[in-house]
Amino acid sequence: MFWQLLISGLVIGSVYGLIALGYSLIYKASGLMTFAQGDLLTLGAFLGVTLYSGLNLPFAVSLVLAVLLAFFLGMGVEKFIIRRLLDKKVMAIYIVLATIAVSYIIQNGTMLGFGTKTLYFPAIFPFKTIKIGSISVQTESVVCIIVAVLCMLVLHFFMSKTKLGTAMRAASMDRLAAEARGIDVSLTTGITWGLAAGLAALGGMLIGPVFGVYTTLGSTIGKKGSAAAVTGGYGNMYGAMVGGLLLGIVETMVAGLWTSELKDMISYIILLVFLFLKPTGLFNERAIQD
Amino acid sequence: MLKVNDVTLKFGGLTAVNHVSMEVQDGSITGLIGPNGAGKTTFFNLVSGVYKPDSGTVEFDGQVISGKPTYKINEAGLSRTYQVINLFKKMTVLENVLVGMHSKLKGNLIPALLRLRSQREEEARAREKAMELLRFVGLEDKAGEEAGSLSYGNQRLLEIVRGLASDPKLLLLDEPAAGMNSKENDDLFVLLKKIAARGVSILIIEHDMKLVMNVCDYIYVLYYGEKLAEGLPAEVQKNPKVISAYLGGGERK
Amino acid sequence: MNGKKSFSRKTAGYLLLIGLVACLPAFLSGFPYGILICCFIMIYIIAVSGLDVVFGYCGQISMGHAAFFAIGAYGSALLHGYFDIPIPITMLIGSLMAGLIGALIAWPASKLVFHFLSLATMAFGEIVYQFISHSPGNITNNYVGYYTESVSIFGFALDTNLKFFYFALICTVIFLAAKNRIIDSKVGRAFIAVRESSHAAGGMGINVRKYKVTAFAISAFYTAFAGSMYAHLVKYISPDTFMQKQSVMFLTMLLFGGTASTFGPICGAAIVMLLNELLRSAERYQMLIYGIMLLVVIVLIPGGIYGTIEQKVKSYMKKKKEVRAGAESK
Repeated sequence: MFWQLLISGLVIGSVYGLIALGYSLIYKASGLMTFAQGDLLTLGAFLGVTLYSGLNLPFAVSLVLAVLLAFFLGMGVEKFIIRRLLDKKVMAIYIVLATIAVSYIIQNGTMLGFGTKTLYFPAIFPFKTIKIGSISVQTESVVCIIVAVLCMLVLHFFMSKTKLGTAMRAASMDRLAAEARGIDVSLTTGITWGLAAGLAALGGMLIGPVFGVYTTLGSTIGKKGSAAAVTGGYGNMYGAMVGGLLLGIVETMVAGLWTSELKDMISYIILLVFLFLKPTGLFNERAIQD
Repeated sequence: MLKVNDVTLKFGGLTAVNHVSMEVQDGSITGLIGPNGAGKTTFFNLVSGVYKPDSGTVEFDGQVISGKPTYKINEAGLSRTYQVINLFKKMTVLENVLVGMHSKLKGNLIPALLRLRSQREEEARAREKAMELLRFVGLEDKAGEEAGSLSYGNQRLLEIVRGLASDPKLLLLDEPAAGMNSKENDDLFVLLKKIAARGVSILIIEHDMKLVMNVCDYIYVLYYGEKLAEGLPAEVQKNPKVISAYLGGGERK
Repeated sequence: MNGKKSFSRKTAGYLLLIGLVACLPAFLSGFPYGILICCFIMIYIIAVSGLDVVFGYCGQISMGHAAFFAIGAYGSALLHGYFDIPIPITMLIGSLMAGLIGALIAWPASKLVFHFLSLATMAFGEIVYQFISHSPGNITNNYVGYYTESVSIFGFALDTNLKFFYFALICTVIFLAAKNRIIDSKVGRAFIAVRESSHAAGGMGINVRKYKVTAFAISAFYTAFAGSMYAHLVKYISPDTFMQKQSVMFLTMLLFGGTASTFGPICGAAIVMLLNELLRSAERYQMLIYGIMLLVVIVLIPGGIYGTIEQKVKSYMKKKKEVRAGAESK
């Protein structure tokens, strides 16, 4: 029982982690917050299931295509909405609301485009379960955890070792200095939003085969992802992943061993506790108080 | 009036203010000068409660005020202006002065809701007093305008009036002449003397040496967070350490 | 100058407006549904005016005001249902409770800056939503929803929409007048000062935290009272009404109308409510249209409708004054 719960906790937790990574990336690169991650996850899952079972493409190809499409959508949102608002120097609330508007449009759009029924991925792998010791685990769950962790490592490598990643970090630290060094800051912020959207779509592709795909799949995951980001330390890459996994495990354990009524509340309580008592999170990311 | 006893403030490894002591005498105008980056504004923030000293104390009127929140220090009778203009831009000029009076007004939620007689009378008195203060600096024509729409010099004046509105015993002025033209500068000199004549002591940071030397009774010089010298204006002007600090600091005025 | 005269002219304007609204049912006599919509609009005016106190004036974001709406609605309905306390009293108790809870949340939250305050208030909204949909002992009847009764004042039941309309009108006038009085006092000035620069506000002797908490409490009281009105107008409440979408709608109404004014929330609540009704037939596309509308407002009229009109009138008056002054100087 315990091990089963731990695995389910890690599965949902790794998806929270991916969403939280997106939040952290955007916050690091532009100091902004988005509320569209959850519905981008839904969109990614719908795109994936359509490509995979509708067009009969291999799973890996569907995954890459869905992530790429989301990437460009994310960049588009930054270029056509967020950047415009920033150039107009509007109040921060308008940017938050703009991302909420985008999330509404995506949510309603997926409903119109893909219908209200829950779609299921046909079996992806030849064997349904993997045996680890005495417990058997759904193959999709194992893949989900592994891919999420891999993704985290790749992203870390990308940010610290590649030229583009370094440019992105530089742009987030000091915009003017980065521009003076010849870094195209608006391109790097655009890529950040694209990456965040891609991560969300990846989350959708990973959780879709486990949960099924429906229009409100991402809305709670998106909100809990922000709890994960705060728990880890908003803006911190490792924090995002650790926070996500931790939250997934705590939530699953509380629901499995104690009461399922608290399942959806516990993440928000943790979010509030961290914001009020330790807003810098587990990884002590820079102070976020005024 | 104000007694700063051996205060030190560190930011991480950097010592911003290093064992500085000073005093402001009752009814005097005291100057605080030093080249850029000497820690003058940081020192002001220490006195007005934005920062707490790591060691040492700030005494005001016989009470220790270091460590108290800014609003309590204002209530105790110490008011200030800001180097970077920090007005309530969307409020009118008059409302800015009324906010400055905050700690002196008794009115509260319930009397305001019921619009009690005491409340209305207090508001009327406050408005009258605010207008009188605006007249004092010659801003009465602008009372209804948005503070953000005033000229730079007038915004500086408004900062001073807003600081005066709480009837402080001591007013801290952070570079009041910055960005003023020479006529405004001359007016400021007169105004400072007039404020002192009202019985308000002044501690002033200023780069304009002519103004400082003419208006101040006593001067302290800060250099890289430490007190370099103190004395009467004439003494400080002749102090070789001060002269070399200013030349070394690359700033001459 | 002639402050007294312009004051009374303003009062006369308000009275005329109230009189016109009071006559509205006469024009809607063949259209009872219209009266119901007016009732909803007034409820939202009170709720959004509450949000305006904390966001428009004090500059503190709340993404969880649906929670206060819920506390007012459930507080009043449950107190009446379980303890048989007369309804107008339960409405007040429920709203006071919400004010207290608002203060308790704002106390620690007042340290947070904008984005993190929006996360904290969102989390608070979700917690309240989860609480009413998974209540201990099923006291709120969870997802099934809870039935309650009409408002009854000294035995006079407001059991028709028309009766409720006048009750709502009186409440709206009282709440808006109260808001004006608060804003026009030391307390209101402190709110605005905190919004404009919390740093300078502290330097001017304003206890920033105390006023942030006060603004949240007042705001929660307003929105909760509107929630209790909603509960006893519809006579049925369920968690669906109090989801995050509702909080976003309050914000949309406020921004659509314009912040930090009396008429902004009025315009915003009325227009968004009417649009919602018009779009009822296109329910499939509702969120899509809503999202696009929100984007259009944000990009094209960031000051809100009333705010933009007010700005235009002000600059026109200023120009006129300058022209006149110019003519006089010649």
